[in-house]
Amino acid sequence: MIGSGIKRGTAELAVLSVLQDGPLHGYELARRIEQQTNGALRFTLAALYPMLYRLEQQRWIRGAWETSANGRRRRCYRLTPAGKKKLSPLQREWAELFRALQRLTKVAHA
Amino acid sequence: MPDWQELVRRRLSGLRLDSNQKEEVHAELAAHLEESYEAFWAEGVPEPEALRRTLAQVADWKELQRKIRSARIRKDIMTNRVTQLWLPGLLTFALSMGLEAVVQKFGPRPIVLDLDKGTPVLMFYTAWLLMLPLAGALGAYLSKRAGGSVRMVLAASIFPVLPFAVVFLIAIPVGLVVNHNLEHHIVTAAYLSMSVGWVLAPGVALLAGGLPVHLLLRRRSSSQNAAIV
Repeated sequence: MIGSGIKRGTAELAVLSVLQDGPLHGYELARRIEQQTNGALRFTLAALYPMLYRLEQQRWIRGAWETSANGRRRRCYRLTPAGKKKLSPLQREWAELFRALQRLTKVAHA
Repeated sequence: MPDWQELVRRRLSGLRLDSNQKEEVHAELAAHLEESYEAFWAEGVPEPEALRRTLAQVADWKELQRKIRSARIRKDIMTNRVTQLWLPGLLTFALSMGLEAVVQKFGPRPIVLDLDKGTPVLMFYTAWLLMLPLAGALGAYLSKRAGGSVRMVLAASIFPVLPFAVVFLIAIPVGLVVNHNLEHHIVTAAYLSMSVGWVLAPGVALLAGGLPVHLLLRRRSSSQNAAIV
């Protein structure tokens, strides 16, 4: 059964999936998602940070100030163990939706 | 190039979060805008257009403000109290009691203060008092790390004496009023001596550790924010 929060879930899935590869700060995170989806998914500042803060409150990610190579202080987010645990059901849910849509389009074209 | 920190601060001026959280949000969003702007600039986008595109990421600052607050406030007051006061406070309490037990068993003899005949004696475990700043510092550090305000940080650092303070501020004055048979000069002397022994002296010792830690962390946090600007 596909959950009702699937729309929010896909955005969360994108963030959690990207953070699976390592910690990133907000701007890098948005860029990485955009690059990896060939521009299909874009996060503006206004969309990104409320979600990051929400995920942080849910303890799926954790933000901490770090100094980058160029000496700038940035708040980097990393996946927590709870976030890693959350990622698998989200991926399954998304895959289920994707398969359901594929079946639907095949039927429509038949 | 605009002062991004100032720009964000002005546009999110109505953001109702505690000052630490607010500063953190301002710094983070300013850093994001700055990087966006620099990326446009590096791609060869002319300055006014780079600025326009950067700012176009937020169509409605009031709406963003509302969303940020709603997302951040979910870590509700209870959670804040637990991480900023109860947890560091209880650890401070446990550490101070542990240190007291160790000092009583292995430490030097206490200084015994005999105020008057008939009044209770007061024992000062000086070794314990000298160690208490460590406990106070730990409480302050943990509370500050969890984003505690000045009040929370200081309360966490003097947490071990708070229960005694409540007893001395409520139980004894009530006892004085209720029990008319007590000789008031004795009770007053006992009250004062015990207040010093159980609340004031350890409280000052705890604060001697907690206050410097608070000031140090506040200074570090300010310099970090300044570095980001």
